[in-house]
Amino acid sequence: MVIPRTPVSPPSAAPSAMGVVLDLIEGIGRVPTGGMATVALDAANRIAALDLVVAWCASSGNEIVSVEGLTVTVRHGRSPDPLAQLDPAQVPGSRVWVYTNFDCNLACDYCCVRSSPKAERRAIGAERLQQIASEAAAAGVGELILTGGEPFLLNDLDALVNSCTDELPTTLLTNGMLFRGARLERLRRMDRSRLTLQVSVDSATPGIHDSHRGTGSWAKAVDGIRIAHDEGFRVKVAATLPADQMHELDPFHSFLDTIGISREDQVIRALAHRGVADSGIELTVDSLIPEVTITADGVYWHPVAADHDAQFVTRDIFPLADAIAEITRRFVAHRRAADSAAEWFPCA
Amino acid sequence: MTAPLVIGSVAYSPNVVPIWEGMRDYFAGTSTPIDFVMYSNYGRQVDALISGSLDLAWNTNLAWVRTVAQTDSACRALASRDTDLIFTTVFVARSGSGFTSLESLRGRRLVLGSRDSAQAAILPVHFLREAGLSEGDVNLTRIDSDVGKHGDTGRSELDALRAVLDDRADAAAIGINTWQAIGRGELLPGAFESFWTSPEYSHCTFTAMPSLEVERADPWVANLLAMDWENPQHRPILEMEGLQAWVPPRLEGYASLVKAVSEQGITARW
Repeated sequence: MVIPRTPVSPPSAAPSAMGVVLDLIEGIGRVPTGGMATVALDAANRIAALDLVVAWCASSGNEIVSVEGLTVTVRHGRSPDPLAQLDPAQVPGSRVWVYTNFDCNLACDYCCVRSSPKAERRAIGAERLQQIASEAAAAGVGELILTGGEPFLLNDLDALVNSCTDELPTTLLTNGMLFRGARLERLRRMDRSRLTLQVSVDSATPGIHDSHRGTGSWAKAVDGIRIAHDEGFRVKVAATLPADQMHELDPFHSFLDTIGISREDQVIRALAHRGVADSGIELTVDSLIPEVTITADGVYWHPVAADHDAQFVTRDIFPLADAIAEITRRFVAHRRAADSAAEWFPCA
Repeated sequence: MTAPLVIGSVAYSPNVVPIWEGMRDYFAGTSTPIDFVMYSNYGRQVDALISGSLDLAWNTNLAWVRTVAQTDSACRALASRDTDLIFTTVFVARSGSGFTSLESLRGRRLVLGSRDSAQAAILPVHFLREAGLSEGDVNLTRIDSDVGKHGDTGRSELDALRAVLDDRADAAAIGINTWQAIGRGELLPGAFESFWTSPEYSHCTFTAMPSLEVERADPWVANLLAMDWENPQHRPILEMEGLQAWVPPRLEGYASLVKAVSEQGITARW
């Protein structure tokens, strides 16, 4: 014989759990937006109370900062969205950098990725680059930027570049010294309507430029700019300057004006302490807004550190959207951690 | 340079300072700059308004009604929050308590918030009276934990809810804002349920004395109403102050409180 069991309702945990929410509302009300309130959970109803705190925070626009044992710390309001604070052009994945090879005809003494004629070629390859371009376009990337070493050392560069410009506007970084013969013919086969060339020139006269990049390199770069213009390409000039020269830019801008570089295409950046550079500004994952960068070895945080293990993100280039999402996730986490540290260590 | 309008506000929350600094920054970019003064309670703020120390006072509904009473209706309401025009009082109890109407409170224990809270004390008694219940018909408990601030802190209403959870009362009367803050009973269905919601009434409003010229007041109101929820500079201020738009006041929405104050013999000044 089966004896039917009398259904017995368990004592409801709801009222005591709700008390935590009342404590929380009162605590949050005592601190300004951005401040923290802590509440203690009842050990007997810890899970129910924590679930309720989570639900209340989600519905009320507040944010759990930490749960340690029976103590929950909640921020009044949500922490600022680090992505919303960025210029749209800085949002990770708004553009994607690709290192096409790494070997170079020059051995600049500040090269951030140690490129040189002796550097081993690490080519991204036509197949991968085509997939990168295709997935980048699908992922909402607005621009591709190709850099070397010196990309014009690649015999299939025209096909590589065209696979990118078929998908997205593209910028190709070059020292501008190799525009002759077969390489000039490759340049001529590129899409002028979708491709911008970015040539490195570091000074208005040969001295400083050649001291970093080799004797005669300035004159060849300037001549390369003339050739590119003659071929109908838009040309940007990017200069890399030590911090102590960043205040003497007027003569340089005037020079670039004379060779037909529009002001919006005159890019001057500070020397980074990376690669073979023995000085320069320090760039870390914490201090750099990421720019998704792909090399033959995988995905890096930023093009300026594409051979530094500390800024290696993942070996998996594909799906590219996942790589972009991972960099975005890490950026948000870094910014939130930095904001949190600033809150805990006020200066005054 | 135009002299700033001086606005009084009661310090009911730590957010009041960032709210008013944000308002001051906003109005600095308009034709009607402002400055602000903080008061610890509405009584002192209304005194300052009437004495001429303030051009405007950001008043609760009770502070407005008291200002009207002290000035023989000479004061003016200039603007309110959108949320102020649709304020309600909610009667809540533990889920499953069986309350169905105000009448079902007869002989039961009702906990009220601070005695100067329109939403959690004065109007609830008025609504009971309208439902045919005198104070003797319901066992009333008052929790005066934020007197002076007219219930703005919400603390007395949270204390009232705790009293219900702790079985020191059967039901509580709270403002719709507190009911929303605890999730309207949807967050934890087993905890609270509402069983009666009042008709809508008006809550806070900017109050001016007749001495504030229309030529100064009207442009200020126009600038206030121009604050835009979609503007990222304005939105944090509006969010903290609990509105999406500033709107003209709805004076008929104060009628129930005027009647309640009269019925209950609440003095015009304290």
